[in-house]
Amino acid sequence: MSGDYKFDTLSLHAGHVPDERHGSRAVPIHQTTSYVFKDTEHAAALYNQELGGHLYTRISNPTIAVLEQRIAALEGAVAATATASGMAALATAVLVLCSQGDHIVASSRMYGANINLLENTLPRFGITTSFVDPNDLAGIENAIQTNTKIIFGEVIGNPGLDIMDVEAIAKIAVSAGIPLMLDCTFNTPWLLKPIELGANLIIHSLTKWIGGHGVAIGGVVVDGGNFDWGQNDKFLTIAGPHYAMDGINFYEEFGPAAFTAKFRAEGMYNFGPSLSPTNAFHILQGMETLSLRMKCHMDNTAKMLKFLVGHDAVAWVRHPSLPDHPGHELAKRMMPRGAGSIIVFGLKGGRDAGRAFIESVELSSHLANVGDAKTLVIHPASTTHSHISAEAMVEGGLSDDMIRISIGLEDFTDIKADFELGFQAAAKKLKLKE
Amino acid sequence: MKHQLFDTNVHIATGGRTFSNEGQVLVFIHGSGQSHLTWILQSRYFAYRGYQVLAPDLPGHGLSGGTPLESIESMADWIIALLDSLEIKTACLVGHSQGCLVTIEAAARHPNLIARVGLIAGALAIPVNDHLLSLSDKALSKAIQAMISWGHGPMGHMHDNTQPGHSFLGFGNQLMAANNQNALKNDLIACNKYKNGKRAASKIQQPALCILAEKDKMTPLKFGQQMADALIRGQVTTIESAGHMLPAEFPAEVNTALRNFLNKTDKS
Repeated sequence: MSGDYKFDTLSLHAGHVPDERHGSRAVPIHQTTSYVFKDTEHAAALYNQELGGHLYTRISNPTIAVLEQRIAALEGAVAATATASGMAALATAVLVLCSQGDHIVASSRMYGANINLLENTLPRFGITTSFVDPNDLAGIENAIQTNTKIIFGEVIGNPGLDIMDVEAIAKIAVSAGIPLMLDCTFNTPWLLKPIELGANLIIHSLTKWIGGHGVAIGGVVVDGGNFDWGQNDKFLTIAGPHYAMDGINFYEEFGPAAFTAKFRAEGMYNFGPSLSPTNAFHILQGMETLSLRMKCHMDNTAKMLKFLVGHDAVAWVRHPSLPDHPGHELAKRMMPRGAGSIIVFGLKGGRDAGRAFIESVELSSHLANVGDAKTLVIHPASTTHSHISAEAMVEGGLSDDMIRISIGLEDFTDIKADFELGFQAAAKKLKLKE
Repeated sequence: MKHQLFDTNVHIATGGRTFSNEGQVLVFIHGSGQSHLTWILQSRYFAYRGYQVLAPDLPGHGLSGGTPLESIESMADWIIALLDSLEIKTACLVGHSQGCLVTIEAAARHPNLIARVGLIAGALAIPVNDHLLSLSDKALSKAIQAMISWGHGPMGHMHDNTQPGHSFLGFGNQLMAANNQNALKNDLIACNKYKNGKRAASKIQQPALCILAEKDKMTPLKFGQQMADALIRGQVTTIESAGHMLPAEFPAEVNTALRNFLNKTDKS
């Protein structure tokens, strides 16, 4: 070959070469819990990380490994480890990096479950978080304490659609000697590869655009390999003797892949947040068309924005590609192909009109997911973000009348007609109120 | 382990075991712009099979301090000094790429200290083209990307890794980027000016195994074969489909070939 394979080729092929014995062109589903060792020496070598290979599906699996290697290839990373969900990826990554008494600086504009984990669950284990407006770079810098171990945020916030300045925040992380970990579910590597801008760890919910079909839950932690875990004494469970494998020092033994080695040896081994091989297979099927789908998502998003802006029924529309969005210029610079296919908007008539809209659309599905091939609508205040406090809602940029759309791949004429149906129902509701 | 040599703090991977100079010592010598991490899947493997493993980072590489050495001869001297400082009486040297030149030079000069040699993806000379030399000086990340791309075979480019979830190209890029900024440039210049390979190889009486890669673009197979032919007791194992970075791409094949060679020479 004349050079490195390109994105579209990698999304079809990376991580998989047909095996010589069977020649299966599609990635086989290795639906097995365990693997036969050649002999006792081989078994010991696998446990001791002397050899690559699989010993138990809680830790790794050949089908899941293809998915992981494909993601690593698309992100330009050293490695990736798949988990049962995006939340499993985040929770395990935090628990692999942090201990009791540690601290995280996180964006205040994030998915409800991300906020819940950091605000309500982790403090019970002695890990606390300071939430900061992701647009406030000085605020992020000032929130860092001596015990801070991670800066965390969503590149495109859910559902407020705030845009994080990855390059600028990565510089803050470098100065503090801590990694920048980003939830990149909304951008996917097709829109942005944050490792190239200095991010160190990437989380994806694979359930969303990367899978794209809405049939399998999955997550992944991607290791950029660009963080020096030995530069200070903050990460001694990576760059110091570990209890496993004769006191292994992951940093010295595995260098750029030290985090992944620890994630697998401790995160997967002790917490067991494993993805099922069948779900890995389903997600791989989705990944094969990631580029094609993302192009269509972006096209339909542009058409939807044109339709919504200035529509009589619509009170406001927010998307980073609109010039009045505070992150517009940043989004254009960081993600020239588009800033994702989530749009949020409010209807004239507020929450009641919104409810009438959601209950009247027929083609668009009312459900708690994003990134599906089908168009989805939801009212975040009463669903995805209902478990967070009223203060956190305001801080997160959520309003009571907000409707979130995940633009699908249907013919836009049909989506538009469906929305008109919803707008008519909302208008009727508004008239009744008057 | 950490070791002090010529006022430089040297990092040496020992495969996760405490090193003792009493056993059979196996020294792995990395290539241009690389580090002990070339040998991730060799150092632990051999250390847990009874060998006393040393995979040092040359000065200015990996986790070692100091500045990169400027010639193959000085690298060979440094390896010998390292063995002396650890009071090692006899050792097997295993080199990869530039490490093969260092191994050949050291083994030719110190036949009593170096009992046998393993030469992986090597040649008698490794001339470097002007474009790559220039990139290593003026655009290091481009030089690294080019070397990592050329250095991997079809399996590497397809990210088909025996280590679950790992990308060869991603790992290779970050490994090289973590080195001293001058490491790669110095190494490439050292390779380019080294002309003593043929002469040195012809003096090596010790058993030697050349493990060559069929798809090697950096030290193509025919040059590896010439290296084997120049050695008095040279043997060859060729690994199909492998690229230059075969210790990572085909670890099982490399380890088996090396282990069989070491076992055989033990008996002979």
